[in-house]
Amino acid sequence: MKALQVRHNVRRLGAARLLSVTSPKTSARIAPVDLRNVDDPAEPSGAGWVKVRTRLAGICGSDLALIDGHASTYFEDFVSFPFVPGHEIVGELETGERVVIEPVLGHAARGSVPPWDGAAPADGDDYAHLVRGHLKPGIQTGFCCSTGGGWAPWFWAHESQLHSVPTEMSDERAVLVEPLAGSVHAALMAVQHTNHHLTDTESPIVAVLGAGTMGLGAIAAVRGAVPNARIVAGARYPHQMRFAKGFGADVVAPGDEVLRAVRRMSGAHRIGAGLSSGAHATINAVGDSASLALSINITRPRGATVLLGMPGESKLDLTPLWHREVALLGAYTYGTEQIEGNDVRTFDLAMTLANRIEAERLLSATYRLDQHVEALAHAASAGRRGAVKIAFDVREDQ
Amino acid sequence: MASKRHLTRRAQQLAARTEHAIRVVAKPLAKYGFPWRSPTVPRGITVPEKPDTLGGNFETDWARRPLASVFRSAFTAGPMKLMTTVLARPEVLGLDRLTDLARLDDPPPLIFAPDHHSHLDTSVMIQAIPPAWRRDLVVAAAADYFFDKRWKATFSALALNAIPIDREATGRQSADLFRDLIDDGRSLLIYPEGGRSPDGWAQPFKGGAAYLSAKTGVAVVPVHIEGTGAIFGKGMKKPRPGRTRVIFGEPLLSLPDENTRRYNARIEAAVGRLTEESVSDYWTAARRAAAGAANRLEGPSTSSWRRKWLLTERRHREISGRNNRPDRSWPNLGPRQK
Amino acid sequence: MPRPGFVLDVDRSTPPMLFWHGEKFSLERLPADRSRVIYPAESFPGLTDPQAAIRDALEHPLDMDPLRALLHADMKLTICFDDASLSLPKMRRPDSRQRIIEAVLDLAAEAGVDDVHIIAALGLHRRMHDYELRHVLGNRIFDAFAPNGTLYQHDAEDPENLTVLGETDHGEVLEINKRVADSDLVVYANVNQVAMDGGWKSLVTGVASYRCLSHHHNPESLQNTRSLMDRHHSALHHSIWRLGKVLRDNGPKVFQIESTINTDAFPSPFEFLSKREWEWTARDRMTYLATAKTLDRLPRRAARKIFHGIEAPYAMTGVYAGFTESVHERTLEDVYRQHIVEVEGQTDILTLGVPFISPYNPESIMNPILVMCMGLGYMFNMYRNKPLVREGGVIIMTHPTYRDFHPVHHPSYIDFFDEVLSDTTDPAVMSEKWERRYAEDEWYRHLYRTGNAYHGVHPFYAWYWGAHGQQWAGKVIIVGGDPTAVRRMGFTPASTMDDAFELASDVVGRSPSITHLHVPSVLVADVK
Repeated sequence: MKALQVRHNVRRLGAARLLSVTSPKTSARIAPVDLRNVDDPAEPSGAGWVKVRTRLAGICGSDLALIDGHASTYFEDFVSFPFVPGHEIVGELETGERVVIEPVLGHAARGSVPPWDGAAPADGDDYAHLVRGHLKPGIQTGFCCSTGGGWAPWFWAHESQLHSVPTEMSDERAVLVEPLAGSVHAALMAVQHTNHHLTDTESPIVAVLGAGTMGLGAIAAVRGAVPNARIVAGARYPHQMRFAKGFGADVVAPGDEVLRAVRRMSGAHRIGAGLSSGAHATINAVGDSASLALSINITRPRGATVLLGMPGESKLDLTPLWHREVALLGAYTYGTEQIEGNDVRTFDLAMTLANRIEAERLLSATYRLDQHVEALAHAASAGRRGAVKIAFDVREDQ
Repeated sequence: MASKRHLTRRAQQLAARTEHAIRVVAKPLAKYGFPWRSPTVPRGITVPEKPDTLGGNFETDWARRPLASVFRSAFTAGPMKLMTTVLARPEVLGLDRLTDLARLDDPPPLIFAPDHHSHLDTSVMIQAIPPAWRRDLVVAAAADYFFDKRWKATFSALALNAIPIDREATGRQSADLFRDLIDDGRSLLIYPEGGRSPDGWAQPFKGGAAYLSAKTGVAVVPVHIEGTGAIFGKGMKKPRPGRTRVIFGEPLLSLPDENTRRYNARIEAAVGRLTEESVSDYWTAARRAAAGAANRLEGPSTSSWRRKWLLTERRHREISGRNNRPDRSWPNLGPRQK
Repeated sequence: MPRPGFVLDVDRSTPPMLFWHGEKFSLERLPADRSRVIYPAESFPGLTDPQAAIRDALEHPLDMDPLRALLHADMKLTICFDDASLSLPKMRRPDSRQRIIEAVLDLAAEAGVDDVHIIAALGLHRRMHDYELRHVLGNRIFDAFAPNGTLYQHDAEDPENLTVLGETDHGEVLEINKRVADSDLVVYANVNQVAMDGGWKSLVTGVASYRCLSHHHNPESLQNTRSLMDRHHSALHHSIWRLGKVLRDNGPKVFQIESTINTDAFPSPFEFLSKREWEWTARDRMTYLATAKTLDRLPRRAARKIFHGIEAPYAMTGVYAGFTESVHERTLEDVYRQHIVEVEGQTDILTLGVPFISPYNPESIMNPILVMCMGLGYMFNMYRNKPLVREGGVIIMTHPTYRDFHPVHHPSYIDFFDEVLSDTTDPAVMSEKWERRYAEDEWYRHLYRTGNAYHGVHPFYAWYWGAHGQQWAGKVIIVGGDPTAVRRMGFTPASTMDDAFELASDVVGRSPSITHLHVPSVLVADVK
């Protein structure tokens, strides 16, 4: 079939990284992803595999980072080249049933013992299964050469990855479920960390830096989880600010004003570059060194900073982190959440959230697979161009 | 590594060779006598005494001609300023007491009356006095010190615009000369003590400044100079660089029906108050002056070691003292090493 | 003989007029036959012997015993003085306050007074830097009093050092500095640069608390203050005078010393800035061109440094001492004599060139809020009787209005601009909704008390100052200003003066009459 495939070509990765600074379009053209005739992937061993025909597949920041050379070399051991990218997928089974994919290739898919009954693919405290088992190494569908990925007409998915899409939910809304699940997970992590530091009357202050898809989802998730939370959002572009306000942020400020907004809200003093107190939790969906330093400076002592979305390598002065006893937490994807003592799947929460905020509003544009250069360029400069989420529409090819 | 003996030997050899060369050149000149050379006086003739044109009789009018003035301006702005800055690093205070007069289109002349500790005082004063009065400033200098040799007299007159004043008694001639100069619009720098302080405490003020001010109607500006005594005081051979401070006081005028002695006392008290201002501050000085407390000028009438002791304490506090001590930024770990 | 101020009717031979434009200048041509320019009077000569005049005033005060008789050895004497918001620009040394306070201290020393405190009466303004105190008081007073803590600045947020003296019949509470209230004699050294200052205002605002100030520093009072320069028609001053009566009845004895200055704001060779344009000599024109071109090329910080370094050659023109009300009447006579210009009628448009400085940014940056305060607050209020522009007319100001704030002096202004102005520009709404939060914010309080920051509530006061102008004008246009900043304040941005007139035509039609207020040189227009 004709699909977008990524090959390991260091030269093209390097060139793409350098060009990404000045020209996203040229960078997308030179990146090592091409539309070519690929061999149909064989059905992986083990039971429970089904073919899924792709309907919509989103472009994520982690996809872009891998393609234009920004991703950390840490992942080299967790991906197998050549692979077809795409992990934000709403597809159709041969039975006609529509599904969204929980892309992590976990225990069940690889034939290892799950940590507990009913665990989600990403749960557990041992990642060994991600590189062993029936499949070649690959953290998710879309990074594994054995299964194929979303930027193709079809691919193999394991039944443990499937979530049924209700008929009332459109494809456009469903394709946002996977990124929203990531946001929900991060939001719950942040909120749960604040619980032991609050008095009964105090409502938590949560700061969210970065108003792309993940950041906006986090704002909505926090608002949903803690109705009386005070949310300060840092957003750069006007359309992001509108979404942030609409999803429940109390104060929306451009980057350099976030610190002052958090100061005003918490009544803190300024000490040097930081605040004496600040937000109970900060969710950082930007990931660069400057925003990390800012996150720690605006989080109150013994608060938490949660990293949402894949960051890269950063340079960070750890002294403020140490002195303020701030917890720096990574929020990878989704799995099983604990809500008031019960186990709930993050994806289910994400579906509810997608319905509540009418998530299809965040899908700004779709492209065909053969327009991948424009699609990747648009996704890379989404904020500047007034867009949030870009996706591939593979439905016409059927 | 040449030893001293070796160097002396080399010097002697050089001198010998030079002497020989001069002898060779001078030999043909031996035949030239009078009128080429000065005459000898025959026996029995008494040579009349020449009138003394030095000391108090030295003529200084030529030093106030335009050419001399230009030279003096250049000297004051150049070498004198450099020397004063390097040796004395003067800090000038109280200039705002004179700004109103300085801003007039035609500032009136003034008589500056500082206390006196060092020969350096005059150059420090000349640098400190505002330009409105510096140009036509005339300095009253001791005739027996500055005008005893011709070269000294010429230099003093040219570089400092100095006029000889007899220390023992203000002669009629000097007083008239000063009056004429003041009437011409010149300002005067005169040291009422008459000479440098021998031990750091001031000597009694003589009435010259008061007399001139009363007669001409020109204001007297009391001035306090601190620090010059430590740099090049009386009896020191070589100057030792340090810091100085000059404080100008409010100009004083003689009151109607006030005799010279009272006026002189007032000027002396004013300089004393400025000394207190330098040691502590303006407000303390004002209150002490009002309370009639003894001023710090003349020092206690006690034995000489205590005079010296209090003097060093005062000096310590003034220039290297309170106002100039840097603030500590670390805990006090013990006595200061000074 | 200095010529009085007058109104020039612009015709085709009138040269373009000088406009202040922050740290720059521009020359704008006003439309002929329907524009007029108000020129201030030329500067009066100063006193020939200011020291003697001060000593004389202290010996022969108005309606009070000579100062000498009021001083005795074991009394508590407090001397208060106007802060760095006066004069604008700062005066050459020695400042009038230095002269006055030294004369007072000389008498106090003679009387043997030991307990003397000297307090900067800054109200809710920022604390002065040491170099500013030295400039205003001179080195002698600073070195004598600052090291032992007897020279300091009023702290309106120090609950231990405030006292309530009483209440007026309108329910206004007089709460002032405790040391001032407990003194045997309070001497005030004032510089009355504009008619707004002096009288009871000196102490009632200068050493008061926030609670006391909010009785008259509020939108309602200021909208009914017509104008700031005319205390008989000013709700602000009526309230202050009521509080003054409480001070007189229940407070310490007050010996007020007020001084006036002429309008020589610029040292040579820049005095031509106050001259009438058609009297500029060739040398003046060359100097203007050189200056204007250089300023255009200089970066903002350099230009600001140059302007804030100006030391005005102001000369003292009068000094009066004694009972506050008597002294103030005489002072106002002198001030009005220098400032009043008779003007007939109002026009449709008023044009103002806003300078680089206001009373609230000495040695600092003029942020957009202060542009509004200076233009709609001070300059609009330079009238008696009626404003120069008709109600509903258009006010056009020229200033770059950049979004620049001084982080040390104006921290609460930055947040006011971000938070409050994005919500509302209506003084009444902001006073209800936001003022209290800013007044009570711990951080701003900390900066006001220990740093050099204006009080948290101060941007509100700056905004209220322009409330009368804001309400009066139908439209306010700023020429050459940063568009986002101008719009945030609720005004209309324009790039050139012609565009401004074009934008104004919506409100005043195509042929409006125009008045231009020719500052520099302060004036008060007496509008018939």
